[in-house]
Order: sequence, then C-alpha cells, then structure tokens
Amino acid sequence: MLWRLALLILAASLSAETLPFDLAGRPVNPFAAPGAKAIVFVFVRTDCPISNRYAPEIRRLDAKFSPRGVAFWLVYPDPNEPVEAIRRHIHDYGYPATALRDPEHSLVKQAEVQVTPEAAVFAPNGNLLYHGRIDDRYVDFGKARPAPTTHDLELALGAVLAGKPAPNKATRAVGCFLSDLR
Amino acid sequence: MTRASIFSFLATALPALPSQVTFNRDVAPIIFEYCAPCHRPGEAAPFSLLSYEDARKRASQMATVTESRYMPPWLPEPGYGNFAGERRLSARQIETIRKWAEQRAVEEDVSDRPPDPAFTEGWQFGPPDLILKMPHAYTLAAGGSDVFRNFVIPIPVTVTHYVKAIEIRPGNKRIVHHANLLIDRTGLTRHLEGKDQEPGFPGMDLKVESEIFDPDGYFLFWKPGTSSYVEPDGMAWRLDNGTDLVLNMHLQPSGKQEVIQASVGLYFSRNPPTKFPMLIQLEHDNALDIPAGKKDFVITDDFELPLDVDVLGVYPHAHYLGKELEGFATLPDGTRRWLIRIPQWKFNWQAVYRYTQPLFLPKGTILSMRYVYDNSAENVSNPNQPPQRVRAGNRSTDEMGHLWVQVLPRGPQDQRMLLQESWMRQRLKKEPGDFTAHYNLAALLKGQGKIEEAIEEFRRALQIEPADATALNSLGVALASEGKVDEAITQFRRALERRADYVNARYNLANVLASQEQFDEAVPNYREVLKANPHDEDARQRLAAVLQALGNTRASRGAMEEAVLYYSQSLELQPDADIYNNLGSAYARMGKLAEAVVQFEKALTLDPQHAAARRNLALAKGQLGRRQ
Repeated sequence: MLWRLALLILAASLSAETLPFDLAGRPVNPFAAPGAKAIVFVFVRTDCPISNRYAPEIRRLDAKFSPRGVAFWLVYPDPNEPVEAIRRHIHDYGYPATALRDPEHSLVKQAEVQVTPEAAVFAPNGNLLYHGRIDDRYVDFGKARPAPTTHDLELALGAVLAGKPAPNKATRAVGCFLSDLR
Repeated sequence: MTRASIFSFLATALPALPSQVTFNRDVAPIIFEYCAPCHRPGEAAPFSLLSYEDARKRASQMATVTESRYMPPWLPEPGYGNFAGERRLSARQIETIRKWAEQRAVEEDVSDRPPDPAFTEGWQFGPPDLILKMPHAYTLAAGGSDVFRNFVIPIPVTVTHYVKAIEIRPGNKRIVHHANLLIDRTGLTRHLEGKDQEPGFPGMDLKVESEIFDPDGYFLFWKPGTSSYVEPDGMAWRLDNGTDLVLNMHLQPSGKQEVIQASVGLYFSRNPPTKFPMLIQLEHDNALDIPAGKKDFVITDDFELPLDVDVLGVYPHAHYLGKELEGFATLPDGTRRWLIRIPQWKFNWQAVYRYTQPLFLPKGTILSMRYVYDNSAENVSNPNQPPQRVRAGNRSTDEMGHLWVQVLPRGPQDQRMLLQESWMRQRLKKEPGDFTAHYNLAALLKGQGKIEEAIEEFRRALQIEPADATALNSLGVALASEGKVDEAITQFRRALERRADYVNARYNLANVLASQEQFDEAVPNYREVLKANPHDEDARQRLAAVLQALGNTRASRGAMEEAVLYYSQSLELQPDADIYNNLGSAYARMGKLAEAVVQFEKALTLDPQHAAARRNLALAKGQLGRRQ
C-alpha cells in the first residue's frame, strides 16, 4: 500500500531520537505536513550577520510561497543558542515562519547544508530537491553584489511548484560555517 | 570552492608552530590585539570574539577570512608607506589560527590566557567640551542596498573655538560602515536637508565649498575600530558661530529596521592654530568615462609641489569599480617614493591613512595617482548588471577617483595660498574648462590685490557656468572694489535671480546701493539680510545708519513726518544718542515739543555729555514753558 511506503521513506530520513525540536522543546517531524507541496528549511543563526541581512528576503519568499502550499521552517542549528535569544531574534527580524532547533544537526546533515544562511527544499516524500544559497548576492566573505542577479531559492521553488526539477540542484552558499557549531 | 582548497596553501619558511595550538596561549593574544577593537560587545562588528566560546563557534570562519585577508580589514600593501594603526596579521598569525581551527579549536590551560584587553568605555578622551547630536533620528530600512546619507548638524557656539579632536559616536555602530565629517562654513548644505521628507539628504560624496583663503585641511573620518585622532600641536581647526558640521555616513542595512542618531564630541584647544595643513586632491573626474565591460580602465593625475611639504596622511577614494589604487611621489632627482598602494580596493573598507612619520617631499616633487577600474561583469561589486557606461558622480552607481593628500607646507608662515594658486593653475592646464579652478584662482588673485586679473578669471568661470550664483556674487564684489559700481549691482542682482535666499549677495547689493546713496533701495535688502540672520550686528548697524541718512535727507527737505518715521525705525534697531537728538529736533520743528523733550532726554540718558541734545532740551523746555 502507498501510505506504508511513504512512511518507510520518512523513517529512513529522520529517526525519532534525532528529530528537531520546536521552541518549547517538543520533537517535531517537519515532513509530516499534510497537503504541503514542498518543504523549505532555511538555516539561520541569531549572531550571523549575513544570515541576518537575508531576513527581508526570507520574509518575502515566505509571503510569496506559503499561500501556494510551501511549508517554510526556520532552523536554528546552534545547540548553544538560548531559546530566549531565538524568540527575541524571530521577533526583532519579523520572521513569520515557524522555528525549529536542530542541536544534533540531523536536519543539517539531511539537507546537506554547510553554512547559515542556507536553504533546502524537500518534496513531501523527503526527497532533497534543492540545497544551497538563497540568492547569489554574496560571492564570498566581504564580496557582495549590490543586488542579487539569480534568486536561486525562488527559482527552485517556482520550478518545484510547476512540477519541474530545480534549475540547479545544489549551489554554494556563503555564510557562517555550521561545522564550527557543536 | 570547498574549505579544503582554502587551506591547501601552507606557508613554508615559518618557524614551527606548537604541535597543539590552543586558544588561551596562541590565539587569544592575536584576537585581543587585532580583532577585539571591533569584535567586542557594544562595538561595530556584528559579533564579539572576546571569549573562548565566542571564538570557538567561528573557528573555521576565522581561519578562512584571515587567510583571504578579508579580516582584519587593511587595504594598503605593506612596504608602500608606513601607516599608523596598521592592522595586518603576519603569515605566522594566520597559520596559528588555521591550525587551531583544524585541531578542533581547543581552549586548554586558562593560566596561559592573557588578561582581557583594556578599552576605554564611552568617549575616548573623556567628556567632550561640546557634544552635538543629529537633530532628528533617521530610520534605515531592514533590507535593500546600502544607504549614503548626509546629516547637517548646526553648532550652538557664539564664540570661535579651536578643535583639536573629534569623536563620532554613530549611536548604532553596527549599521554605520564609515563616516566623514565635513565643515560647512557656507550654510549651503542646510538647504538640502529633508527634501525627501526624511532627515538628511542623499549622496555618497559630499562637496562642500571651502574658504579659499582658509581651506580646511583636515581628515575628519570615522570607521569602526579606529581610535580617535588628536591633531598635532598647533593644528587645531577653527569653529565659528554659524558653521555647520555635515555628517556623511555609509549605512548598511542589517536585516531589521534600525534607527540612528549619531553624536559628535568636540574637544577644544585653548590655542588658535599656528600650522596650516592643506588637502591636495589628485583626481581626473573628466577622464572618468568607463565603457561598459571595460576591465582595466586607468586614470592618472599629477601635481608638482611648488614648495617643500611634509605629507601627513592620505585618503584614497573610489566607488565599486575601483580595483587597484596607487599614489606615489617622484622626487626632483627622479626617485620614486610610494604614498600608498592598494592592490585590491574594497569600497567598504576605505579609510584615512596617516603616516607614522611625516613624509618630507621637496619642492619640485611630483605627486601622482594611478587608479585602475574594472567595469566588467566579473567585478561582482559592479552596481550595474549588465555593466553600463559609467562616469564621475556622487551616486553609488557613478564612479570616483580621488586621492586626497594632507600636506603641511614648510616655511615660516601660512603657505597655503602659494600652494592653492599653483594647484589651480595646474588644474587649468589639465582642464581649461574647470569652473572651480577658474573661480578659485580668481579669488586668490583678488586676495593678492590683482583685481583686474581676478575679474578676468571670474568672467572665465562664468563663461563655463553662467548661472553660478557664487561666481556672480564674487564678480560683483571684485567689480565694486574697482569702483565699477553699476556693473557690480548688475552681477549681484543676477546672483539673486538665481538664488533669492543668497544672503551674501543680498548684503553686498545693499552695501553697494547704500554707498551710492540709493538708500530707499538699500533698506529692503538689508531687511532681508536681517530676516535671514537676525543676529548679524554689522547688517543691523548698517541698516540703522541708512535709515538715519534717509531721516536726515527727509528732514532737510522739510518732510518731517517721514523723517520721524525713519529715525524711529533706526532707533528700533539700535538706540543711538545722535538719532534721538535728530528725532527730537524733527518733533520740535513739527511743533511737538513734549515729544521732542522725551527724545532729547533719551539722548542724554545714553550720552550725558551730548552737548547738542542738552542745548536742544533746554530750548524745547524753554519754548514749552513760554507756551504754557
């Protein structure tokens, strides 16, 4: 039966003990999003300047795609960030998306992300469709374009909603290294 | 690019690092000296690096950005000028951080840790003598491009002060990338404020007209992590009543809306300046016309020093297309001395660089700049995608190529005029259509009493910009001093047609009219001046005198009612024993003896020795007595 198959895939992608948490400390399975056409994780940190500068763009994409059936999650992968700091961060930067904590980096590994800010787009069945930069504004540390020329995450989501593959499956994001967090 | 490839270069000739690199022994000393001035709580950098925990969670990031020399930000190439406050890591320091990150960034023995660096909190030199604040807070949007904005800060001083140091406190350091303070002695910029309904006015580079005979030769610059600068002895700058300071800021959106209201602290010196530095600007804006896609576009400029100078500092400036910036000096014997070389220009990290020792350059030395621009699509900072033809201008999409050189002329007194004149003449050789050079040269000639030559130069300037109110006004002044009054009046009126609120031209017009005894026309012009500057004592006295003269002419014609009116208006501006006496006489001639007595008494209150008033009072009282 089909539903059983889907469950098996999920079980393979996230095991129960490494599930991310919501801000109240409850484990959450973000893939259990009934009716969602795609699931997006944006990995951020409260103290990463590049990540913070992307807040308006993240809000814009959330406002554009949430009504079209995309489930947006903010993911805070720093195990040492106090939950209060995260709440304040969400408030200060006006993030609408629901936030998750990923102290064990299970989502980080599954999404194959390296830095904050970095995005990952999953199909409802848990297939990784895109991971990488939000756009190409930052080329390197200290090297930024005045405005992005390619909106990679937006293009990926547009393609996925149209039933097509993302133009690039993976791109290199610039930001604060996740490997420094432990 | 993966991180492995960043790490693939290993310096070879370094003395061996300890087999285990630790935070407390090896890394903390580097961080405390080079990073902590900005990377500590409350400072400009977006995060602190003071504690082990702070540093550990950015270990490989630190390795990457120090390896690429993005951090600490320091643009000049070593060996091309010795600058104070150099913040540049050695190869060994970079390798230490890299190895530490690679070895899982351990903390180890706390007893190895150096004491926390000591920083002065608050104002760096203690409480300033005067604290100024932006009159209104400015709100910076959460996102979008960087903002370049100027804020005019009026200065509430009534007497002249001499400023030996300034400190700019941005209020919100994390969004202010750099700031320049300009001295506006003309009052012109305040008219630009708030035109777009927000505090301040836009513009990346600000040009403020300076006084030609007393140009301000100082770099008043702030960027994060730089300590405040105290001008050397005898080099304080003058701050007068009516001067505005203009704060030119580069603001970088942070991701959330931010409010900024900067303060400026001023520290006064008791002594007026005895040394007069000047800022020489090398530039070639007219040659800045970069074709779209052009990768190596070069501009150059030269200036031959007409006297011996000491160079104190340099401020190289270009926008986002700038790639390689060089400044150098060629001595009369042909040797080259580098002023500065920036192999990889980054607009965001522009700064003023001051030499550890003044650099002596003899008369006849040629100062040169050579700037290379990249207007191709490969330049990621290119504000135009696809690239466009770019010319000089003060928007971020325009380009600039300036090298400011701060020089202190050697010699017994103030040598700046000689330097100015030579500079302007060299500019005109390069660019005969340079309005400012013609204008400045004219003013310098006028200052030397060469009025006819000055008039000629002003006229050349006006051929280039016929509607320039300042030049029209200056030409008027020069003509008036040659006695060509009618022509002068024409120029002042033209200046006022261009700018009705141009107070200097209005004042000059009023004075010339008054000198020609065209008092009726002079009066409304003086009144306008006083409306704009109610505290202008000089204008007040001159208007009072003109009104008195008008009263006198009316009185001599027997028009006593009018005479009374003019005298009274004059007295409203300033009490004066003579005019009270004249007013009393006018009343007496009208037969209003009681009023006359009152005025004579007022005259005597002001000046008990006023003989005419005393006699007139006696006469008036006598007549009154006889009447009764």
